Amino acid sequence: MPSSLSVKNAVLCTLLLLFSAAAFSQNKTITGKITDSRDGSAMSGATVTAKGTRTGVQTNADGSFSISVPSSVTTLVVSSVGYASQEVSITGTTVNVSLVGTNTALNEVVVIGYGTQRRKDVTGAITKVSGDKLNTIVSPSFESALQGKAPGVQVLQGNGLAGSGSVIRIRGVGSITASGDPLYVVDGIPIISDQFSRSNAGAMNQNPLASINPSDIESIEILKDAGATGIYGSRGANGVILITTKRGKSGKMSFNYSTRLGAATYAKRQEFANTSEWLQLRQEAWENDGKVGQADLPGGYTYATASQNNTDWWDLLTQVGFINEHNLSMTQGTEKLKTFANLSYSNNEGYIKTNSYQRLSARLNMDYKILDNLKVSLTSGYNRGTNKRVSAAWDGGIGDAMSSALPFYTPYNPDGSYFVNGANPVRKIQETKRREVNERYIGGLSFEYEPVKNLFVRANGSIEYIKGLDNIFETANWINNPDSGYAKAFPYWGNNKNGNVTVNYLKDIGQNHKFNFLLGAEANEYVQKSYLFEIGQFANEPFWKNPDVYKKRRDFFIQQRESQTPPQATEKSDGEYTFNSFFGRINYSFKEKIALQLTARVDGSSKFGTNNKHGFFPAASAAWTLSEEEFIKNLNFVNFLKLRASFGIVGNASIGSGNYYDNYRQGGTPYNGTPTLYLNNLGNPNLAWEELQNVDVAVEFGLFGSKLTGELAYYNKQTTSTILNPGLPPSTGVPNINRNLFDSRVLNEGLELSLNYKIINKPTTKWSVGGNISRNYNEVLNWELGPDAVSGGTNDTRVVEGYPLGVNYLVRYFGVDAADGLPIWLDKDGKQTKTFSLDHRVFAGSVMPDYIGGFNTAAEYKGFDLSVLFTYVIGGNIYDNSGKYQFMGVSKKNWNFREDFYDRWTMPGDVAKYPRLTTDATNYPGLPSEDQFNSTMFLHDASYLRLRELSLGYSLKRSVLDKWKIRSLKFYLSGSNLLTFTKYPGGDPEITRDFENPQDRNLSPNVTYLTAPTQKTFVFGINLGF
Amino acid sequence: MKQFIKISLLVLLVFSFSSCKKFLERPPEGQLNEEQALKTEADLQAFSNGIYTIISDGAFYGGRLQIMNELLGDHYRGEFFTGDYSEIYKRQNSIFGGTRDGFYSKGYEVIARANKVLSRLDLATTQKNLIEGEAKLFRGIATFELVRTFAQPWGYSADNSHLGIPLRTELDLTSKPRSTVAQVYAQVIADLTSADVLLPDVTANGKFYTATKWAAKAYLAKVYFQQNDFVNAYKYANEVIGSNKFTMDAGFANRFSLGLSTEGILTIADDANGFRPGGELRGAFRSDAGLPNFRFTDQYYAAATIRAADLRKAAWYSTTLQPGFNLLTKYNKNNFALPLVHLTEIKLIRAEAGAETGGANLAVAIGDINQIMTRAYGGTTFNLPLNAAASAVIAAARTERELELVGEGSRTQEIKRIGARNATNVDRRGSLWNCNGFILQFPKAEKDANTAFIMNVEGGCF
Repeated sequence: MPSSLSVKNAVLCTLLLLFSAAAFSQNKTITGKITDSRDGSAMSGATVTAKGTRTGVQTNADGSFSISVPSSVTTLVVSSVGYASQEVSITGTTVNVSLVGTNTALNEVVVIGYGTQRRKDVTGAITKVSGDKLNTIVSPSFESALQGKAPGVQVLQGNGLAGSGSVIRIRGVGSITASGDPLYVVDGIPIISDQFSRSNAGAMNQNPLASINPSDIESIEILKDAGATGIYGSRGANGVILITTKRGKSGKMSFNYSTRLGAATYAKRQEFANTSEWLQLRQEAWENDGKVGQADLPGGYTYATASQNNTDWWDLLTQVGFINEHNLSMTQGTEKLKTFANLSYSNNEGYIKTNSYQRLSARLNMDYKILDNLKVSLTSGYNRGTNKRVSAAWDGGIGDAMSSALPFYTPYNPDGSYFVNGANPVRKIQETKRREVNERYIGGLSFEYEPVKNLFVRANGSIEYIKGLDNIFETANWINNPDSGYAKAFPYWGNNKNGNVTVNYLKDIGQNHKFNFLLGAEANEYVQKSYLFEIGQFANEPFWKNPDVYKKRRDFFIQQRESQTPPQATEKSDGEYTFNSFFGRINYSFKEKIALQLTARVDGSSKFGTNNKHGFFPAASAAWTLSEEEFIKNLNFVNFLKLRASFGIVGNASIGSGNYYDNYRQGGTPYNGTPTLYLNNLGNPNLAWEELQNVDVAVEFGLFGSKLTGELAYYNKQTTSTILNPGLPPSTGVPNINRNLFDSRVLNEGLELSLNYKIINKPTTKWSVGGNISRNYNEVLNWELGPDAVSGGTNDTRVVEGYPLGVNYLVRYFGVDAADGLPIWLDKDGKQTKTFSLDHRVFAGSVMPDYIGGFNTAAEYKGFDLSVLFTYVIGGNIYDNSGKYQFMGVSKKNWNFREDFYDRWTMPGDVAKYPRLTTDATNYPGLPSEDQFNSTMFLHDASYLRLRELSLGYSLKRSVLDKWKIRSLKFYLSGSNLLTFTKYPGGDPEITRDFENPQDRNLSPNVTYLTAPTQKTFVFGINLGF
Repeated sequence: MKQFIKISLLVLLVFSFSSCKKFLERPPEGQLNEEQALKTEADLQAFSNGIYTIISDGAFYGGRLQIMNELLGDHYRGEFFTGDYSEIYKRQNSIFGGTRDGFYSKGYEVIARANKVLSRLDLATTQKNLIEGEAKLFRGIATFELVRTFAQPWGYSADNSHLGIPLRTELDLTSKPRSTVAQVYAQVIADLTSADVLLPDVTANGKFYTATKWAAKAYLAKVYFQQNDFVNAYKYANEVIGSNKFTMDAGFANRFSLGLSTEGILTIADDANGFRPGGELRGAFRSDAGLPNFRFTDQYYAAATIRAADLRKAAWYSTTLQPGFNLLTKYNKNNFALPLVHLTEIKLIRAEAGAETGGANLAVAIGDINQIMTRAYGGTTFNLPLNAAASAVIAAARTERELELVGEGSRTQEIKRIGARNATNVDRRGSLWNCNGFILQFPKAEKDANTAFIMNVEGGCF
């Protein structure tokens, strides 16, 4: 352990080194080796610099270095990311240094917009998650692995469908119609992450992020406040997730191979009545309604025939999925050229039969120093995700197993033919196939030129190219066609071009004043297209088995259209937008104490109306490192203490392109032989971005010899000029116009605390505990529309002044009248009534949690390592939207009946949780229909605690590795979502359903509709370095 | 200094990475703004032509209008309806429901487009009368259908000062309060009367697939009839029939057919390569491709088929297609042209209005009802005597109307009209003609956009 003083000195000296001019005289050569103090292993890529000069080298793979320094130099500075820098006096020609890892990580390099900063100099709210932390578990998509690891970042992991996406909210959500998703930037390129590019097809949203290879990721930086996201202007309001891919490190060529094999199942399922139970309940409902004789049954069944069957549909549709991942990477680095290359293959089966996500990816990142002051970098990655999809939720499949596939239905009739008189998900899963292939190529080339000292000009050009092919095959049986099935395909493709130029100038005035100026300009152009026609034909095999047949069919349609006079168009644009931006940043620091940052960005975009084409987004932030002040330095237990504050205005432009434009369209179909023209919507030339006023105040600290580190942050975010699509009176005839509600105001205010404590920190024994907790308070402060003007899809969440976004607006269920079993409701004033009315609805809950977070512990002992992560949610509600139909299962709705509804009234005097069963929901007085049966009967506490990650590993000792001539070898076992503790009776408490649009996604997380539970995985993994 | 110049040059370079205005214009493909869309009379005509497909969209005349009116009526068993359908069937329509909302929005979409046409008549030259007449006809029809669905009928209050629907005569985005039923009908009649003057009496291709003055007159007859204004109903029905442009179909197979009917006064054309109306209508009622949820009660079926000779029984009903159920077969076709108003209905109006007005009209009325009955019963067995009393003619006209227009959404409005006319309740399900649930609730969105908007009182029909 270095003393905190030496850390500080080292930091100071390194800094001085970087910014001071060198004086050259005669040179001498120093050689040596840098090792890790923990295990004595060689450290490659550590930086060795001659103090007082700009001369520096990086160590090779074996940790060795050789540096030529002026003879006047007496001290070398050795540093490496994640380690305390050390200064070593030059006493001979050899210098060996053992670096000590540091968790205060003050010198850690943090990626920020258009640059990097030392952790210590950061003035904004940025959480860094290193790539290895994303790879502890197998997750359907990389972003879900962020859960519990970053304070203020809510991650609702995707549902159980392979490749499904998570809902990520950074410090709450303030938008309604515009997307609340953060901006994803990969290596400086804002990437395509739209979940709705292909609508809600098959009850699953698109997840373009699934194809990103988690093992490519070096680190993820989550930018949370205006101080950090201000540089992203109109796209910064929802936070920014910067993904940095791995790059070559100095040293000889080395390889890493990793593999994971394992199994996937579901975390927590719903349980249903079996046939005899269901029939009994049906009869009970029947008799409750005063009917005599045996209740009628759906599907052409009688009691006798139904009783013979007892199908466990869930069991028929699920499996233990096989997880299979392989990854081979190479890194190499010389003075001139550094390379990172990676090849990955994974095939992760889901727990639903035939469902899997296969990912192939390749990456090549190179950095080449053409001249001492000219560097070129190539960043390129190709990902191909193949999603073998299955139907779910309302689209059948596993959704049917939870709803309309009754236990006395069977997949097959006695004669072997399929049962068709009711839901038959087995038939659906076997007779319809869907395969979606998404390819993404991201390539970027950047030049960095230093024409004069401390002046850096960077030019970056990049292109992201995506290509998707959604293939569906329906068999002859499915389409009831004697001859053949039907194959169809929906290809789409798009590209996203980005170019920017920045000028960066570093200027020191004296010893104490340091300036860093950045000016930049950027242009971004995106387009996605698809064909105007469906490519389909009768066939006995899917298109993916016969790509030539598909191509022929596609070309046939193209030619057919092009050969007409005049030639018909073949493609259409599904979305197109541009941004043209100018930005600047000034950083100033005084000694090591004060850091100030000003950012500003002007964004012009095709998304904005003609009267509001450009927006201006300024932000200011500051940090004061108190631990550099004398009065704190005297406090021995304080090693590091920093205050941080920011204020800024950022925007949200996550809306479709051209929403400001009138929507007159030529009719595709003529009427009565003459052309037609339609007005689909009126435009709005005043349409602008949403504006977010964002304040952040935080304290960062390291105490007790930096054993206890942490951060406490407060933020206040107010969103105004809310972009809203619905809410005009329908009698206008054009009720959906995108417009800004300039007087609206939505607040997200919160506290975040993260702590980490190193209980034991010895070279061979380490044990630490850590955790974070975040509280976000969301309230609609100003709102002019009525409570039902804006809803989250069909999910009964609302926007109401004085309540959080996505408030549950429901009739309160009081309980059961023991005399007759009918439900008792509370009216608006809290008075009991037995007559249901939508007028009784009140604001009964919120789908936003009160607290979120995670806590973890990590231990290392003689090569063994154990890490455990629990994640939790406290407060907030789940609205069980399919529960209302499952409760009505034995009514004419004919759905599966959930076991947790057994606690029902059956006879006078019964004290029960749920009312008497009925054959028709409208027998409950006042209930207009079963669709309107929305009440707190189905509203539940969303709190849960989950053993999210558990990993136990063993790394082989140096001596063994040396004998085998390999660099590293580790074996491990890990699992995800292993245990779930919740009071929610409907199965999995973490719900990301299929959403209709961004508004639904903003307002209705935690609302379930036959949502497939998240997956639970177990894997065995090997990491081999050689 | 040298350094300063260098930096300045670079800054300039960065900013010359220029902001091109065009770069920020990305109108969505295929989307036009008004300036581009409406430039000529032909554009305005195409715009007006599009309204034919909107008014006959599945959410309006293409099915929803008939479906909701049939649900509210008294012909069907209720136990097979769920969700919105069940709610409307039970006459307890509440503030939510896509079925009703879609209908309301579609009706106002027709009105908004008609208003847009009327605000751009500056583009019209030679076809001005046709374009203006079409717009007024559409606005009149849509307003009429909306007011009789969302407001209590004409005659509910003595002066019809009870609340109707928001009247919209221009396209704007502000909320409008509900006008009185008297005001709404006045606007409907003004529109249709003007359309009658403006529209031609023949179309370019001789078919009644587009608007003529006869369509305006037929709707005037319907509107006046709904108001129990028999003088005017008779007058306009008489003019339509007197034009001799429409003849009664010989049988019952062709009313919904691919152009075989001669009765359509305004018919939405079916074009195999273009617009095909009626999908939602067939989807709800069709009984040869599955078991529809619309299944007649035994009570109605018995009443409708009480006369063995009734040819309509074989033409429009089946109890065998799906054994055990009484089903409608009127719409068992893959496609058909969709008449919005047809001669049979106008004859029935003239019959009842003729009997109500009496005098010389009574004989005409008897002629009309006998023509309909002769066709229905395959002969004159059930015809009324030429000296039949007016009351007998009215009774026969009402019976035949129910049978002729089965499945066409007429019954509910008849229950209300007869209720207002005679203060009698003819509903077989026993509701009062003026009970609250007989009209639909407004979409909640109207209220949410303007808290002062007055919603209907719900339920209370049973």
